[in-house]
Amino acid sequence: MSVVSVKNLSKHFGEFKAVNDISFDLEEGEILGLLGPNGAGKTTTIQMLLGVLTSTCGDISYFGKSFSQYREEILEKVNFSSTYTNLPWSLSVYENLHYTSYLYNISDRKKRIESLIDHFRLNELVNHPTSELSAGQLTRMNIAKAFINYPRVLLLDEPTASLDPEVARFVRQFILSQREHYKVSIIFTSHNMTEVEEVCDRILFISNGVIIANDTPENLSRSVKECKIQLNIPNCDEAILFQYTQHNGMKTYATGNIYTITLEEQQIPELLSFLGQNTIKYIEINIEKPDLEDYFLKVAHQSNKRKEL
Amino acid sequence: MKINTIWAILLRHLYLFRRSIDKMVDAFYWITVDLLIWGVTSLYFQSLAPNAQQMTFMLISGVILWNVAYRGQVDISMSLLEELWNKNLINIFVSPLTFQEWMSSLMLLSIIKSIISFIFGSIVGYLLYKVGILNLYPHLLVFIGLLMMTGWWLGLFISGIILRFGTRVQALAWTLVWIVSPFSAIYYPLKVLPKWAQIVSKIVPTSYIFEESRNLLFNGQIEYSNLAISAGLNLIYLFAGYIFIKRSFKKVLEKGLVKVY
Repeated sequence: MSVVSVKNLSKHFGEFKAVNDISFDLEEGEILGLLGPNGAGKTTTIQMLLGVLTSTCGDISYFGKSFSQYREEILEKVNFSSTYTNLPWSLSVYENLHYTSYLYNISDRKKRIESLIDHFRLNELVNHPTSELSAGQLTRMNIAKAFINYPRVLLLDEPTASLDPEVARFVRQFILSQREHYKVSIIFTSHNMTEVEEVCDRILFISNGVIIANDTPENLSRSVKECKIQLNIPNCDEAILFQYTQHNGMKTYATGNIYTITLEEQQIPELLSFLGQNTIKYIEINIEKPDLEDYFLKVAHQSNKRKEL
Repeated sequence: MKINTIWAILLRHLYLFRRSIDKMVDAFYWITVDLLIWGVTSLYFQSLAPNAQQMTFMLISGVILWNVAYRGQVDISMSLLEELWNKNLINIFVSPLTFQEWMSSLMLLSIIKSIISFIFGSIVGYLLYKVGILNLYPHLLVFIGLLMMTGWWLGLFISGIILRFGTRVQALAWTLVWIVSPFSAIYYPLKVLPKWAQIVSKIVPTSYIFEESRNLLFNGQIEYSNLAISAGLNLIYLFAGYIFIKRSFKKVLEKGLVKVY
């Protein structure tokens, strides 16, 4: 059974359709990435899922229960962290976690707070006012707060945005371990495509308020046909090479001896065979397969074009 | 209503109160300044008219009682502003906290802080001017209850406006309450106000309270019907204030809590 089910959800601000008739499910233990260019509707969707923005129409249910009817019961098992919210500045790390633990009625609050403080390496900061924390420390505290109620569903809006690579990796590992041990279901947004590929099981790509793709990161990457080949060719007969690539719809540009050719994956054997037949000798070859970032760029580009039209 | 969520919000503000010099100053400094100014003024008047011995009591008790209404309003409006300044409104409303629980905790907070401030003001008033405001007991409890209600509905209306327009109208939180004060006749009898102001005073619940506190002080009696009018007006305004802030909150949810700052 889905832990979250969204049906025909829309949010209109006057004429502007921020989110337009989206439907999706989140399975138990699944990490779902919400991707899309800025203004695509990701944050609007997350806010509606949390009940801090009313939808124009559509239904949201958690654990098979309607969110509008069972809001309080549902929110006891849901939590959230984002870069665009803060916990009270004047309160210390401990005080923030302590009062939050009452909001969620945690029974073993002392033990829970201590374990989160340990996990997120906040031990030396417990009595520091939040205003004195660095961006990375703040994010760690926010994520600790998000885990305080042993959530079954977690919504993380760019949770690692201000973290250095080492701490960001640590947070990702923590998220993955929580999913593994407690089957936490997570909706995750990030602009770091490598992170999304590492963490998410499935991706919803939103553009102009509409879901335009719903698939695994691998399949989305594969849907970008174009890849790049870099060849190091000393003494290249450029005329032959450029004529061939142009004729076959490939894009080529040269920097010194390095030739970068953009082509479809299935054209690679053909190209290599052509190079062999024409005794164009390369001393180095590098093939860049498409990844999620290429998919993102392709779709964002198409989306911008549509907007311009 | 859940006790744990109400306690959570109370705790959040009590932690803030403990840590913030601003909050300490707000709770103790202004009432001390008011007591000093009005106390010295009353002593001067008393030196001019030695028979007006009750003037000091009237002014000092006025300061202490008005502070109850002021605290009631300020603690509700400032608590909302604190959440907006800290961008914390989303964090509390993605939790199981309900709007009613939030309001209840802010009202409880205002009661706690008013009591602290009232006790402090009473001690200062007694130590400096030998004014024993507890002499108004048991009616004092009624006065305090009614003044607290006035503070609450003022706080609800002001907070509703802040929710709709954001922190650009934040100055209302510490200024709007003073619009009511001239019509409340805190330091003078109603009859000295111009006719039009006396008419306005009839719809201001605090005017009845201060009139009756003076009635009790000077004549040793009280018109309970006036306190009933004050209570009735307070209840009507409290209900209207609650509907207004609730609607404002609903309106805010239509554009998103993240947009309010």
